[in-house]
Amino acid sequence: MAVVLTNEHRMIQTVVREFAARELLPIAADLDQHSRFPGEALAKAATLGLMGLMVPEAYGGAGMDTIANVIVQEELARACAGFQTIVTVNNSLVCEPILRYGTEDQKRRYLPDLAQGRRLGCYCLTEPTSGSDAMALRTTATQRGSEWIVSGTKIFVTNGVEADLCVVYARSEDAPGARGISAFLVEKAFPGVRVGKVEKKLGIKCSSTAELVFDGCRVPGGNLLGRRGEGGKIALAALDGGRIGIAAQALGIARACLEEVTAYVQQRQQFGRPIAEFQAVRWALADMATRLEAARLLTHRAAALRAAEQPCTKEAAMAKLAASETAMWAAHKAVQLFGGYGYIQDYPVERYFRDAKITEIYEGTSEIQRLVISRHLVDHH
Amino acid sequence: MDIIVCVKQVVDPELPLRDFAIDPVTRRQVREGRPLVISTYDENALEVALQIKDRSGAKVTVLTIGPQARVGDAIRLALAMGADDAVVIDESKSPDLLGADKARILAAAVRRIGRYDLVLCGCESADWVERAVAPLLAEMLGASCVTFVSRAETAGGTLVVRRTADDGFHELDVRLPAVLSVTSDDANRPRLPKVKDIVGAKRKPVQTWARADLAVESGSHEASGVEVREVVVPQRTAKCELLPGDPAEQVAALGQRLRDLKLL
Amino acid sequence: MAGICIVATALDGAVSRSSLELVGGGRALGASLGAGVAALLLGSGPGMPEATEALHQHGVSAVYRVTDPTLTAGQTDAWLIAVEQIVRAVGPEIVLISADTVGRELAPRLAHRLGAALVTECVEMATEGQEIIVKRQVYGGRALATLAVARRPLVLSVKPRALDAPEPAPTPGKVEDVAVTIDVTALPARVREIHREKSEVGLEDAPVVVAGGRGLGGPEGFKVIEELAAALGGAVGSSRPPADAGWVPISWQIGQTGKTVRPALYIAVGISGATQHTAGVSGSRTIVAINRDPEAPIFSLAHLGIVGDYREIVPLLTAKVKELKGG
Repeated sequence: MAVVLTNEHRMIQTVVREFAARELLPIAADLDQHSRFPGEALAKAATLGLMGLMVPEAYGGAGMDTIANVIVQEELARACAGFQTIVTVNNSLVCEPILRYGTEDQKRRYLPDLAQGRRLGCYCLTEPTSGSDAMALRTTATQRGSEWIVSGTKIFVTNGVEADLCVVYARSEDAPGARGISAFLVEKAFPGVRVGKVEKKLGIKCSSTAELVFDGCRVPGGNLLGRRGEGGKIALAALDGGRIGIAAQALGIARACLEEVTAYVQQRQQFGRPIAEFQAVRWALADMATRLEAARLLTHRAAALRAAEQPCTKEAAMAKLAASETAMWAAHKAVQLFGGYGYIQDYPVERYFRDAKITEIYEGTSEIQRLVISRHLVDHH
Repeated sequence: MDIIVCVKQVVDPELPLRDFAIDPVTRRQVREGRPLVISTYDENALEVALQIKDRSGAKVTVLTIGPQARVGDAIRLALAMGADDAVVIDESKSPDLLGADKARILAAAVRRIGRYDLVLCGCESADWVERAVAPLLAEMLGASCVTFVSRAETAGGTLVVRRTADDGFHELDVRLPAVLSVTSDDANRPRLPKVKDIVGAKRKPVQTWARADLAVESGSHEASGVEVREVVVPQRTAKCELLPGDPAEQVAALGQRLRDLKLL
Repeated sequence: MAGICIVATALDGAVSRSSLELVGGGRALGASLGAGVAALLLGSGPGMPEATEALHQHGVSAVYRVTDPTLTAGQTDAWLIAVEQIVRAVGPEIVLISADTVGRELAPRLAHRLGAALVTECVEMATEGQEIIVKRQVYGGRALATLAVARRPLVLSVKPRALDAPEPAPTPGKVEDVAVTIDVTALPARVREIHREKSEVGLEDAPVVVAGGRGLGGPEGFKVIEELAAALGGAVGSSRPPADAGWVPISWQIGQTGKTVRPALYIAVGISGATQHTAGVSGSRTIVAINRDPEAPIFSLAHLGIVGDYREIVPLLTAKVKELKGG
């Protein structure tokens, strides 16, 4: 499957790059240092249509495909990975599941608000005792009359503090594993939801990561997403799209590293010449550029498959694996090439280093990605 | 209100210097393979028009001269920002035409469009920088003229504009119809188009007229009496001396050189 | 009368510097063509006699003077009426107008009304037989175009500061006061208000200019620029992006749409030099560039360069300047 970027894709890339230059680059360091939520910039991003990129225009979104999405996410992450985390979760882990599994009523009730920035979404899957083993979750959902009562604790919820709408996965059936799980659309306004501990993180600091506690939370029957027992399937399908978004995030971080290092090594002089003249440095740049290009091609391929409604689980996992490991490696290399200055907060590479790490962990660790990929090679589905 | 915004597509003025070259035959910048953008101040002009549209309602038409094949992206972007329709004058020689010829073609196009209260242009084009099109166009149309406008607001049947001056600004009352050239200002930073409008722009009407179909006043640039003899990139005989070392060494070297030049 | 006519202005009670630059340029052309130089002197009242005298002192023979209350700053439509009337009566071959705020609006319109050839923003003028050869900056100052004009009449607008003010050459001359009728209420564009920004050291006259660009990152970046300028006894300027973004007043802007400066020393900090900025500074005697990006186009214009972070370099430089000046 060849990926061809249309004129439209290029125009969108230009516009979002300009947006990132105006609104994100000037504040990224400050957002990171103060762990400040970028509310103003998000509102502007929403005006452009970046919060509901793949939501059809009929529901107030921008009506774009997955390829346009990865282009946008890479541009945003190049400027500020934390900001982009907030945006990609809203797009891929909240809007997408509602779009694919929601009823007409649910779509009309929530998608316009999510796409236009009036509501922010979050995705509640992980629990203290279930991370990689996601389907072992313990939050319960019990039917009572026309309502569901949800009880349990979710942790590491991106946008947990600011989100109004949570996609919550809970065990509703008397069955272990994926088959026992259902998905629910829970508004923070429903009785019985509260934000618990807010985590202090290594990176992507402007995005909030919080514990959400559901204590006899009353959810209207009309807010069951998909069918009973379908929650596991919804969670995993959402992760396919989510992983492509994270791959794009990693591409943005890797590109930021490459661009900053390329400029720096031409300027920094040691031993009477720019360090860009030393072969070790040139080889490092070549490796960075090559690995970035390879990861980008994988990511675009996964996006193209998804845009064509074809299976993309293996490709999405490969993209996420390759891109996140490239970002981490590139950031590590970037700090090294900056030398002492790479360790100082006046320069952005130490932030890239801290931001890059999460891409190897969330939405499925690199180990899980390897599991997913190898299943497609060895076991036959 | 009917507003026409004249836009020109030029080679990106932020092009790295190594990609900048003059074709000795055409005596113009080499365009092949270079990225094209809307001329800088034309975007500000478009923004001023769109702000008037937002505030008091207007129809905004984008007008451009250029080989049809090339101007597509510029028009699309302008329509995505919020212009209502576009008119393209198909003219293959357009990158080589000087301001006076452009103004004549634009005047004929404006007359053919028919209704207009306001024509906006960038204060200067990013390439040839003549600053002449708007004043010439105003004369040809018999319209009021103010150049280097940073802001414009309708006030009843007239316009109140702010003109940027060397030492501050002037406020003027302007009778319509008027031709204004626009310069950049905090208040007219070009808006970014929404993603869905980039797609939607495809659906907005674009008319293409051949140059030959317009009743253009006579006069090519040869007849206007001005001939472009040559365009050269001045070769610097003195290369820039880059001072080496760490910051303290660089500064010490600079201090010494400035002292040698008797500047300190 | 065939010849050269310059449009001189006396706002602020004195003949403007650009008017004198036009006299210099006009005299040079006149010498080659064997033509005299006359001046239209326009103003609303104050300083007209002194301005007339200044023109005579610098070699203008005939001064056609229009004094009218409508001929004030920014009132282009009134200036156009006056200039057109007198040019038609006097009938020069070549009209020189300074490309300042009013001039750049007026020159093309005058040319059209007269059916004259037009070249704007000239930086050099010469003759070749009967042809006038002019040079002007194009492509944001990256290239220089040479144009030839045989046709007459010819209107040329001249970039302020591109020409030198002339040596004095006292000339006995005549003065003719011309009356024009200008109904200010009938002007299509009419000035309501003039706002003048106050500036201390005139940017255009400063012997040293330190300018900041987008690379400074924000208004706070200009603090070290101002300190360096103060240490050097110079003025502060900026390229376009900081002025557009509101980090500095518009009057600090240097470049094609800002001021042209020709100081002995020009220091560009965090300025890429990629756009029209360089057109405003290329006449500076010594240009120093400080920029993080070794590929920045400013380095092809500068005489001396430091590739580095301004936050480190500029404070060190300020200290070094103080040290060298003190010692």
